[in-house]
Amino acid sequence: MAETTNGGATSPESVFALRCQELKKSFQGVMAVTGATFDVPQGMITALIGPNGAGKTTVVNILSGMMKSDSGHMQIGSTDVTNWESFKIARLGLMRTFQLSRELGGLTVLENLLVAPQHQSGESLLNIFFRPVLVKREERENTERALEILNTYGLYDLRDTRARELSGGQKKLLEIARGVMASPKILLLDEPMAGVNPALIDRIGGYILDLKAQGMTILMVEHNLNVVEKICDHVIVLAEGRTLATGRLSELRANQDVVQAYLGEVINASPTR
Amino acid sequence: MSAMWYYVFTLVFFLFDYFILAMGLNIQYGETGILNFAYIGFVAVGAYVTGATSLPNAAGTGQQYILGWGLPFPLNLLLGGLAACLLAVFVALIALRRLRTDYLAVVLISVSLVLYDVINNYVPLFNGADGLYNVPEPFASVLKLTTNSFVPFFAALTGVVALLMWWVMSRITKSPLGRTLRAIRDDDGVAATLGKGVFRYQLTSMLIGSFYAGVGGGLIIQFGGSFNPTAWLPAETFVVFAVILVGGVGNNVGLLVGALLVETLLIHLPAFLPDIPGHPGLIEYIDTIVVGVLLMVMLWFRPQGVVPERVRRSPFSLATRSSKTLDDRAIIVPTNDGESTPVIQQETANG
Repeated sequence: MAETTNGGATSPESVFALRCQELKKSFQGVMAVTGATFDVPQGMITALIGPNGAGKTTVVNILSGMMKSDSGHMQIGSTDVTNWESFKIARLGLMRTFQLSRELGGLTVLENLLVAPQHQSGESLLNIFFRPVLVKREERENTERALEILNTYGLYDLRDTRARELSGGQKKLLEIARGVMASPKILLLDEPMAGVNPALIDRIGGYILDLKAQGMTILMVEHNLNVVEKICDHVIVLAEGRTLATGRLSELRANQDVVQAYLGEVINASPTR
Repeated sequence: MSAMWYYVFTLVFFLFDYFILAMGLNIQYGETGILNFAYIGFVAVGAYVTGATSLPNAAGTGQQYILGWGLPFPLNLLLGGLAACLLAVFVALIALRRLRTDYLAVVLISVSLVLYDVINNYVPLFNGADGLYNVPEPFASVLKLTTNSFVPFFAALTGVVALLMWWVMSRITKSPLGRTLRAIRDDDGVAATLGKGVFRYQLTSMLIGSFYAGVGGGLIIQFGGSFNPTAWLPAETFVVFAVILVGGVGNNVGLLVGALLVETLLIHLPAFLPDIPGHPGLIEYIDTIVVGVLLMVMLWFRPQGVVPERVRRSPFSLATRSSKTLDDRAIIVPTNDGESTPVIQQETANG
């Protein structure tokens, strides 16, 4: 298990799925990320927390290839993926969800999942016309699996509904289900609990634990410290664009820098569950 | 054949031809979200190359043009389609990779204008403003077709080509490739995070659509025997857009309906109507205004078109609904001190 450290990586002996070193990013002179350095331990649920404007979403955008960093390095396993394009990062097994749900609105719920598998033979023009049996068989297998996932996530009855017609909470579930359909090694969840009702928060928490049990590595941006405390093994605190500390939440509560920068205000502001 | 039937078969030809053109633009815009405002340029390239490859060597024809290979149908038509694809590769490399949709649209309008100016003014290419003429009519000498019998024959031939191209397009749009294109249309950023190489798919879409544009253009020059820059003013692109927006974006049946309503009934039928007394030629000029108004009305009141994009329903259901849904069981969350505490309450399925 990782140790509590200030501004650095987790313990050197931990096996990491994802590592970033000194990531920096500015927007027209405004520094959004000033030196994010952390490891995401393999097979664990890691929370990325910090006050608003700490650079959490920017870091997630960089990690998923949707933004390029100005400097620094990023590694998935042993592969340096610094500033790779997002589709290449995804093909290495890193998927993400979004803070504001970005469902593929014109596609049905089922189609949203069917887009996700990598290297589908039916995505090639030649295969469509010259290997139709292979395409059909693969499509059937993918459809069966997608329906199973939708069933698990309680979206089965909505499978033929256009995704844009779903409620906010259903869209959150759909994004996670879509990520799962891609069979990722690492799943980045950007505030999966934001704007959803308490019952659904519990359900989403359960799904995330289930993914961990399947061996998936999860990095989630989260403000709900109850959730973080209950399901996360490891916590990374970002403040003013840099890594302030890493470790277990219970340990971080004793860290004065963390309390001053974030935990103090959150603990004071949030009701106890 | 009476004059009326001549007109009818002319309308039928344009119905099928614009169905082909609409399918090409639809896969680019309706399926992939590429606002190709240069579409008519691809049609023109297909027309010119089809014409120039079927015409004999330019020497002695009184025209100036490149190629002049005297190729028969459908080889010339295929080359017309491929020439449009070549243009698509060029445009994609300079514009598609780096530009957002709106900027791409502006660049493509510029491409259309540049293309128009070059072909219109550089005479050695395709005979400049006079365009190509005396293009051989396919099968006319073999089947001993007269001018009158050629029109219904070629309308039927175009119908067969359209049917074949509709079958091909249906296979594509119903395939996983079609689904991925629609994912890119809806949100290319999300598609990329799902491992889809967006540029590769956009290029594929551009190539398919451009081939359709080139073939559609090739059929036009072979039907009329001539083609010049007045036939493909850059604004003509918006007529094809009107066809797909009125008929229904993302629906092949809708495209046929759009081709019937816009191209056949509004653009070409009025040309065959008798003149309004005292205003000769007025009807022909009114048609574009009518198309513009129709387009606005459709976008306001029925943006999905006459025949909207269909919901693609799941092909089958699960044989048995798994009882192992997470909703149906309590989840025991281990706390940090190693004890287990049930923190998530049992819920019924589907909340």
